[in-house]
Amino acid sequence: MSNVIGTSVSRTEGRAKVTGSATYSAEHQISGLVHGYLITASVANGQIRAIDTREAEKAPGVIAVFTHKNAPKVFMPKNDFMNSKIYEARLPLSDNQVHYAGQIIGLVVADTFERARHGAHLVKVEYDTQTPLIDAKKVTFKEAPPQFGEEFAFAKGNIAAGLANAAIKIEATYTSSTELHAPIEPHAIIAHWQGADALTVYEHTQWVAGAQRTYAELFALPAEKVRIVAPYIGGAFGCKAVPWPHAILCAAVARQVKRPLKVVLSRRQMTANAGHRSETEQMLRLAATKDGMLTAIAHEVKSYTSPVDVFIEPCTGITPVMYTVPNLQLKQELAVMNIGTPTFMRAPGENPGLWALESAMDELAWALKMDPVELRLKNETREHQRKGLPFSAKHFADCLNVGAERFGWNDRPMQVRSLTRDGKRVGWGMAAATFPGLRGRASVKVRLLPDGTAHVLTAANDMGTGAYTVVAVTAAEVLGIPVEKIRVEMGDSRLPDGGLAGGSQMTASLAPAVTAACQEVLKTANCTTASEACAALRQSGRGAIEATASSAPGAEMKKWAFQSWGAHFAEVTVDEEIGRLRVTRWVSVMNIGQVINAKAAASQVRGAVIMGIGQALMEEAHLDPNTGYPVVYDLATYHFPAHADTPRIDVAFVGKPDLNFNPIGARGVGEIGITGVSAAIANAVYHATGKRLRSLPLTPDKLIG
Amino acid sequence: MKNFSYVRAASVKEAVQQSGANQAALFIAGGTNLVDRMKVFLDEPSHLIDITRLQMQRIEPTTDGGLRIGALVSNTAVADHPDVRRNYPLLSRAILSGASQQIRNVATVGGNILQRTRCPYYYDTAFACNKRKPGTGCPATTGINRMHALLGASDQCVAVHPSDMCVAIAALDAIVEVEGPRGRRQIPFTDFHRLPGDTPERDTNLEPGELITAVVIPPLPFAKSGVYLKLRDRASYAFALVSVAAALKLEGDRIQAARLALGGVAHKPWRPTEAERFLIGKPANTATFQQSAEIALQGAQPLAYNGFKVELAKRAIQRSLTISANGGGVA
Ligand SMILES: Cc1cc2nc3c(=O)[nH]c(=O)nc-3n(C[C@H](O)[C@H](O)[C@H](O)COP(=O)(O)OP(=O)(O)OC[C@H]3O[C@@H](n4cnc5c(N)ncnc54)[C@H](O)[C@@H]3O)c2cc1C
Ligand code: SF4
Repeated sequence: MSNVIGTSVSRTEGRAKVTGSATYSAEHQISGLVHGYLITASVANGQIRAIDTREAEKAPGVIAVFTHKNAPKVFMPKNDFMNSKIYEARLPLSDNQVHYAGQIIGLVVADTFERARHGAHLVKVEYDTQTPLIDAKKVTFKEAPPQFGEEFAFAKGNIAAGLANAAIKIEATYTSSTELHAPIEPHAIIAHWQGADALTVYEHTQWVAGAQRTYAELFALPAEKVRIVAPYIGGAFGCKAVPWPHAILCAAVARQVKRPLKVVLSRRQMTANAGHRSETEQMLRLAATKDGMLTAIAHEVKSYTSPVDVFIEPCTGITPVMYTVPNLQLKQELAVMNIGTPTFMRAPGENPGLWALESAMDELAWALKMDPVELRLKNETREHQRKGLPFSAKHFADCLNVGAERFGWNDRPMQVRSLTRDGKRVGWGMAAATFPGLRGRASVKVRLLPDGTAHVLTAANDMGTGAYTVVAVTAAEVLGIPVEKIRVEMGDSRLPDGGLAGGSQMTASLAPAVTAACQEVLKTANCTTASEACAALRQSGRGAIEATASSAPGAEMKKWAFQSWGAHFAEVTVDEEIGRLRVTRWVSVMNIGQVINAKAAASQVRGAVIMGIGQALMEEAHLDPNTGYPVVYDLATYHFPAHADTPRIDVAFVGKPDLNFNPIGARGVGEIGITGVSAAIANAVYHATGKRLRSLPLTPDKLIG
Repeated sequence: MKNFSYVRAASVKEAVQQSGANQAALFIAGGTNLVDRMKVFLDEPSHLIDITRLQMQRIEPTTDGGLRIGALVSNTAVADHPDVRRNYPLLSRAILSGASQQIRNVATVGGNILQRTRCPYYYDTAFACNKRKPGTGCPATTGINRMHALLGASDQCVAVHPSDMCVAIAALDAIVEVEGPRGRRQIPFTDFHRLPGDTPERDTNLEPGELITAVVIPPLPFAKSGVYLKLRDRASYAFALVSVAAALKLEGDRIQAARLALGGVAHKPWRPTEAERFLIGKPANTATFQQSAEIALQGAQPLAYNGFKVELAKRAIQRSLTISANGGGVA
């Protein structure tokens, strides 16, 4: 063992990225490539009465224009998330109906990007319109259906009794805004057909094998006739898991025009066609005894979906996980609006769920005159109250205690408006973080070469999170050779299925498979170390030793609940007169099992905290209240934190490897960092100002009020 | 983008001639605003006249102790210039509070003055907009108008001028020098931009074909105490919800002279002259500043989403005046 696991290793692909040699989806150079530009609807609810493409068709460079009248053929995939999945259950251009503003209603193909864009601008559309449903106050809510096989409604104990008999009660409603993923790399795809029955897709995808099967089903091809190439992804956060309508359309049109075709979404188009996190309204009722033992939690959530698919922001998932409570009741409702389809966004459910729960817990702590850290320690649960399983390797209390220590929390005056600095109010707040430990099946091939290097090959991918490096580090550890001697190839469906990069499970799924494949290589070579094996290779004159191995979760899932934990501690300053809120200090302590690359893990947490600061302070995708059309259109109108909004973020890890979970003991770290962030900030604002803000984002208008 | 022809003008005369001869021609300087607009079909010029090689690149002292800033000087170069930093710190800070370093490096003074509103409805041809297409309507009046005007708007248009630099320039009573088909003229900066009225398509009083050649900043010794305060939804790289440029001249604790200009509240950089006049002769204290702020916002007509800006603007005025009374500095 080389003991590289757990150390800080710089990204193996870092140089390629900063020098521009890393090839992102839109950057693959393919000869004969033509460009597509989307035509999008300017109304949110209606039918296309007439669409006039004549002028566009005559425009210089335009090759073809596609609308619902000449939509290319595609087949509905199984769309079951086992074999295949598309984000929107309606296939692009399937009829003349418009369900939301910005919906794709056509595609112009031209020899250059600019000419395609110009062509799209020349298309004239007439609509019959109906009043769109876009006002959250006017829509009809229904009980949310099960999502991915799981019911939402849950009750334990007697909620009415639990609330009635309590010494202290908190009842409050919290709202969060519609948020965009806004990855730095816009959505892009190149579809390249080899004849009519073999397709290569260059597209960032969080799920390479899934994309392969999905495109195969869309075009009724055997899976091996589709190749997905996605070596790099410029950020995904959940909005690049499976094909969106533009990608399906691109592949279908490319087949029809018999040319490699590229479609890149503008930021404007991404606001409607690349997902978002639904706004939420959450009502929480907490009850506790005088000494701070919770007796009841009722959590009711409202979120919104589009007319063409169902996605429920699953906020109540965290409620049975956080605190022991004898009486618990969960409910989720859903309403359809004329908006684009929402989807997974970093910690879907956990993030807005903890915004509400951790705000309410803070309110409860103040009502009890109890330190919020103590309140959480007191109510920590040893078991998942919905699954009825004990948590494995849970070190939540360490997160709280170590975080408090690093932050200097115990010096906090238990009084609002008690701290000032340079004429500004100062406040300290904290909140818990959590995310489930997920893991999937993954396969990896390892090839050891006589020169002492090794190749690791898998159709997993790196969303920008550092997966290349995690794989290299794990292989280096098992083989006992330096990280620099490991070459990792990912993001190509010709490689063994590496599973899904989502739900923070890539590391937890891949690392055991890498370990198993490396061990298999040593076993095949009949050696205990890689250097012996390489020496043997050189002697025998053989080219390489290869082995493929898979790993998957098993019986442990029935014995344990796996969950990661964390705590955030925040300092804010508030210049009350002018409504200026700044986050000035941050400590996050995370319990994620085995840390594989300390540097990358800490930067995942930092990135997530920054994203959480965005949610807390500024992110909000407004729709025009009359037409439902998004009025944010780029990275200047959709705000997320600039450096000036970002403090130094101190990150520490506690706990032990979770060896019940997988042989490496790693639970993954991609999403947990964002959970609880907005609550920690709002809680700090309360400490600073005495003002309890329950509606995100905390923009200046809310601070001066 | 519509096809266009492009020429790099060799002299001011040639640039003016070219633009005079072609109604659908536009000047292009840094291009940071114009190119964005062209990409989304807000402007469809058939001809671009690149003015970046013209001799309007210098910052020179004027004989009376002011500064003459060529229209092509980059925003960064103005903000960094030692005379600007020493004598007009509010101008330097206003510029540095805008856009990003990369944009400021290529953005020019002339382009900054002539940048167009960031009204999201203006910015998308999916919407009607009186500014883009006169007579089509103004969806902002009943739409998301959080960033929109409080003062001087009309029912035709409630957009605001987005520039930070211009707010400082307005406070400094600058003069814009222009050259056009009918010769040279000077326009006081406060008369340069227009209120929307019935012609929201016109942002300024520049005549067709006229080129901005320079901005002249008169001497103003008490501008050294000047302040620029910008309030916005994030700490950097966001347009102002409201902004204030202010400078006070004190004699003891009495105010002798005052300059006040507001950004983010009107179709043009807004000079609340009555509020300025009110300050003269008053003691420099909170009560005075409060009253001045009240006067400045008198007649404000908030819309559905921007009501908070009235209070925010008042407080920004008070804060800026307070800092200026204490000698100036970062707000
Ligand atoms: C993302 C982003 C954020 C921004 N944030 C801010 C901000 O916070 N605050 C702020 O103040 N600004 C901001 N800006 C705007 C920026 O300041 C302007 O884009 C810039 O100043 C324009 O200068 P330019 O030289 O690039 O103008 P151009 O784009 O070249 O021209 C703009 C207009 O002026 C005309 N023009 C240019 N020069 C002359 C001249 N000499 N005579 C006559 N006409 C001329 C052009 O025809 C055109 O219509 C931002 C811009 C972007 C893209
Ligand atoms: S406010 Fe002015 S710029 Fe905005 S939509 Fe109305 S007319 Fe157009």
